[in-house]
Amino acid sequence: MLKGFTRKFKPLEVLSEEGLEAIHRGSLDVLETTGVRVEHDRALKLFADHGCKVDFEERMVRIPPWLAEECLRKCPSHFKMKARDPKCDLMVGGNTLYFKHGMGMRYLDLDTWETRPATVKEHREAMIVADALDNLHLAGAYEFYTDRASIPPCIAMLENIASGIRSSAKAEHFGVVAGLEKFAIKMAKELGITIYGELGSAVPLTFFNEVVEATFLYAEAGFPVEPTVAMTAGAEGPATLAGAVVLLNAQVMASVVMAQLIKPGIGISIKHAIKPMDMRRGTPYFSCVSKSLTTVMAHQLLRRYGIPSCSSAGYTSMSKKIDFQCGYEKALGTLISALSGANLHVFQGGSGSELLYHPVLSILDDDVAGWIGRFLEGVEVNDEMLAIDLINEVGAIPGHYLNKEHTRKWWRKEQFIPKVADMETYPVWIQSGKKDALALAKERMEEILATHKPKPLTPHEEQIIEDVMKEAREYYRKRGLISDKEWVAYMKALESPI
Amino acid sequence: MEIEILENIKKAVMGYNRKEVASWARKAVEQKVDPIKALNAFTEAIRQVGDGFERGELWLPDLVGAADAMQDGTLILEEEIKRTGVEKKGIATVVAGTVFGDIHSIGIGMVCALLTAAGFDVHMLGVNVKVEQFVEAVKQYKPDILAMSALLTYTAQEQGKVIDALKKEGIRNKVKVMVGGGALNIDFAKRIGADGYEPTAPRAVDLARKLLGIDKEDKNVKRIHTQI
Repeated sequence: MLKGFTRKFKPLEVLSEEGLEAIHRGSLDVLETTGVRVEHDRALKLFADHGCKVDFEERMVRIPPWLAEECLRKCPSHFKMKARDPKCDLMVGGNTLYFKHGMGMRYLDLDTWETRPATVKEHREAMIVADALDNLHLAGAYEFYTDRASIPPCIAMLENIASGIRSSAKAEHFGVVAGLEKFAIKMAKELGITIYGELGSAVPLTFFNEVVEATFLYAEAGFPVEPTVAMTAGAEGPATLAGAVVLLNAQVMASVVMAQLIKPGIGISIKHAIKPMDMRRGTPYFSCVSKSLTTVMAHQLLRRYGIPSCSSAGYTSMSKKIDFQCGYEKALGTLISALSGANLHVFQGGSGSELLYHPVLSILDDDVAGWIGRFLEGVEVNDEMLAIDLINEVGAIPGHYLNKEHTRKWWRKEQFIPKVADMETYPVWIQSGKKDALALAKERMEEILATHKPKPLTPHEEQIIEDVMKEAREYYRKRGLISDKEWVAYMKALESPI
Repeated sequence: MEIEILENIKKAVMGYNRKEVASWARKAVEQKVDPIKALNAFTEAIRQVGDGFERGELWLPDLVGAADAMQDGTLILEEEIKRTGVEKKGIATVVAGTVFGDIHSIGIGMVCALLTAAGFDVHMLGVNVKVEQFVEAVKQYKPDILAMSALLTYTAQEQGKVIDALKKEGIRNKVKVMVGGGALNIDFAKRIGADGYEPTAPRAVDLARKLLGIDKEDKNVKRIHTQI
């Protein structure tokens, strides 16, 4: 099992007890007064059977506070994710932070800074890099490079998870993608791994048929779920941060009630993202201080409920390049999120407001993740760490600590050493070609691809993946979603060498 | 028995165990093991530690720990060498010190330990060494290399003064001068007329070898230093 990082001190909070209670009560009020729209007959009946006021015509479900609170209590504080390699299993919850793969639709060309669809080879290479990174714990092969060269859009994200499972032994997850989830669930069940379902509902207060159907599918497969609420404050939710969190929390609670009614005790983590609207461009601010504030508030609420959280504050920058803005937006957002108790954090590799991804960025981000993770582990204070006897033994100059066993024993544990940051002395930096972190990360990527060998699939596992993919490809072709011309290009693309 | 003792000396150095190293050095003397051979075992061990450092597997505390572990054992063996009258000749002689006004000792200490381990005869003058003390030591020991360290910007100038003094005494061409320390850069080293410059202690041994034309670079290891 991967250990991740353990936060050893009190989490960062921005809400007082009164503020926290006011938001909780506000969300219960919204659920009872207005309720949520649920476009799914079976779910409507389920809600009605368990004490909700259901208007079948309007498809509105009004949830009583007692039921919401009862369902919150049913959520386990932890759940396990089984990876292809048991060493990469995860136990999500408590004070543990795991970093999760970032997202970004297209391949970023590092020479032109323009984007384009990614090839089969580029996706596989990105997954090999992800497999090699020390601080990337949960892979997310399906949600980066969703725009794939020669792969039909209807099946691209399933090809992605297949590519991910082939190229990395780390735990995976999937989402709700136009019915592809049934194939992903089948593949995972037959491989004996856990994929949790990321279930994005629509704000404000709406659950379309597709996401409810997927909730049933994941729950009935015995997999955890991750209800996801992403809101643009000022457009899809109130512009005030407290109001936005009241709405977000109401939708989170409705998701929890639905999941717990479908399968009591089901493992849940909540993914949340409140992005204020840019009132000039009409686009969300993907990374900003308001998002950090609402993230900390959401973590306070989820901690009160005992439900694991998945944060995306800092998962992307709005910069189109791997540059200073990219670094500070991602690092600051992620640091604040981690300090406030995120259990999962979407992070390595994505930027450009979810538009772009590059493994070189995942390598750079992995250093940031390690830096933050080391901070969370905190400071141990005991006789040996205080080193009072040693300080007395060494005394004043010429005494020093470099030759002490105590130094050899502890320095490595206390320090975090980034893998690709430029830490050279100035003269060595000059003489070695004035390389910056980006150049060093490019070199590291080449090194990883030349040396890292992910745990291979067994022939049986390979057969499972291929059988499911074959079934899915035929399914979409028969439905007319893949034309003959697309099919030829698609098959040719799959022949690309790993 | 001799092989066992030599192996244990190496193991003790690489285990950073000063007491063990001294104990095996004593055993070597008792068992009449050639003290030069025993000293060579030290050198071999520290070279392995140095290679581990260059490969990124070991770190400064390991380098210094290994050099430190050898100290008592080295004294025991050198006593034996003196007593038996065996001729011991290092690969070259070095005079080293931190310049006047500067009391930083860790960097120059590391350089001396590593040079010693690499087989050089090192005369360490200490810290806060005046120009005339350096000149006197060069006259007395006739070293192949003079190594000077300065951590502070204003004390770095002292290195130039020493070189000027060597010129005045007419002995500048008798010795290679290498300089190092955090306040320096290659331009400064050139300006004061040094022969070599190395910003970090661990790579100083390679620079010393290079200056004397006895460089044995491992092509798998990336080393960056400057012979001017």
